[in-house]
Amino acid sequence: MVLTLQALVTGLLMGGVYAAYSSGFSLIFGVMNIVNIFHGELIMIGAFTTYWTFTLYHIDPFLALPVSIVSVGVLGYVIQRVLINRVVEAPPMISYLCTFGVHLILSNLCLLLWSADFRTVTTSYSGAGFSAGPLTIPLARLITFLIAIATTFGLYLFLEKARYGKAIRAASQDKEMARLVGIDIKRVYALTFALGAAITGLAGGLLSTYFVIYPQMGLPYTIIAFCVVVLGGMGYIPGALIGGLLLGVIQSLTATYLTSGLSVAITFILLFIILILKPQGIVGKGIVE
Amino acid sequence: MRIKLLLGLAVFIALLLFPLAGAEGYYYRTLSTIFLWVGLASAWNLTSGFTGYIDFGAVGYFGVGNYATALLMTRAGIPFFPSIMIGGILSGLLALFIGRYTMKLRGAYFGIATLAFAEAAKQIILEFDRTFNVRFFEGSQGITLPIAHDETFFYYTFLIVASLVVVLVFTLDRNKFGYALKAIKEAEDSAELAGIDTRRYKVSVYALTAVLIGVLGGINAYWLTYISPLDVFNVIHTINMIIMALFGGSGTVFGPVIGAFVLTIANEVIGSRLLYTWLLMLGMILLVVVVFLPRGMIGLISLKRLKR
Repeated sequence: MVLTLQALVTGLLMGGVYAAYSSGFSLIFGVMNIVNIFHGELIMIGAFTTYWTFTLYHIDPFLALPVSIVSVGVLGYVIQRVLINRVVEAPPMISYLCTFGVHLILSNLCLLLWSADFRTVTTSYSGAGFSAGPLTIPLARLITFLIAIATTFGLYLFLEKARYGKAIRAASQDKEMARLVGIDIKRVYALTFALGAAITGLAGGLLSTYFVIYPQMGLPYTIIAFCVVVLGGMGYIPGALIGGLLLGVIQSLTATYLTSGLSVAITFILLFIILILKPQGIVGKGIVE
Repeated sequence: MRIKLLLGLAVFIALLLFPLAGAEGYYYRTLSTIFLWVGLASAWNLTSGFTGYIDFGAVGYFGVGNYATALLMTRAGIPFFPSIMIGGILSGLLALFIGRYTMKLRGAYFGIATLAFAEAAKQIILEFDRTFNVRFFEGSQGITLPIAHDETFFYYTFLIVASLVVVLVFTLDRNKFGYALKAIKEAEDSAELAGIDTRRYKVSVYALTAVLIGVLGGINAYWLTYISPLDVFNVIHTINMIIMALFGGSGTVFGPVIGAFVLTIANEVIGSRLLYTWLLMLGMILLVVVVFLPRGMIGLISLKRLKR
């Protein structure tokens, strides 16, 4: 019982971070209909940013989060302007192949720069945690969870209430109409990509506080993001929260009762089943091609 | 048309006679690698190039073929040729099942579902023994196959199988089956309206591709004599098939052959020494081909001919 509860708590804490970076993935997909295969590389670069600021300048990873947000956001903006804008109107398979190319370039460039070594950010509070009854709650994971959930909510509120958020939603709902009422579509696309990337960079920075990071970590994260977003509904931001928490719990339970390697397989099998049975997500609000 | 056929035949005969020249083992290995990739890229092209459904999980069938042959030969003592045949059939049956569901999905959804299939297959073979406490797939330790033949044996096996794949693509390219596949690529809904049972064609070609890739995987296992899930299910094999086919010209008969030939040699020269640089370059090639050369090298050649 305690074991199950502990697995649930660990899963929820993990799921919060899944939700945060998957909401970036979902935003990019919802607005531009682009499945971003280098999403995991954005996480990796966000994580390496906090790693390097910590290792070189001894800045606490949580304080270095703005650096991750800005650098990954700018990277996203540049890639969108230089490359994605060229293919955004092409059939979805073209942009899919393009983002796949960027995935290869970024992951191997970082491998050349930083080697394939596994790295960790070890702070003074790395092992710290507190107990709630029979359960242990690691401190770093709790803070990470809270920031991640707040970010996902923040993104949702921004899209619902802010002027620019409304422009983004307008562009995703009807591109031609948005253009007619004077919205600069290409600019909205670039800013959407930057926003999605910035959130992902933040999630990467958060992950680095308790996960091993290495240049080739990206692809599994991309697939997890896809799984989360398919679970919750493609392009539907609150869905990323539901999908993220659900997947976190499922993975944690499989890792506890079977093996952790199999929890990866479960993710893929789940993704496969949901895609086939309910591609619009469990809430039924996702976009289906 | 006749020129292409004669040229193809001449190359085939030259390659058949090549071992008589008494070259070193290195050349056999390089040429065998090229034949393997000609086969794989052509087989991938049959589904993805013709129908436009870009399969990101092709390595799944390669891995299944590898493991089926390895297990049949080492556990059941079945000889090599029947083993690769059974491996191909198993791989095809699996594709019939997977394709039934994935082929309903369109565009990127199909790509990611097939990618998930291949990764799931890898993880299952990797974790099966540990999870259920048995010794069957041997997990990350991999399986060792008997060493029995010299390089010329594999040279001929690969040459003949790869040639058969190319001939098959060539035949399908100009019959009803191939036309149906191209119709699916151009306008699937219209094809459906025109009375083509698109789903049946899509699933059949997907399974056919899986059979071919599975057989090639089986030969690969016996050739390498050691296989492990991380090697034979490596997503890089799928990437290679995709880039070779796109680079040469996907949806054409000889495009993937050219792509496999050029990129395998480039891989031998650069990839064997500087793997990460090579992967980086593959990413760039992919971007350039997709954005600027959507018809591949074949498209470039025929464009020049048109201009003249």
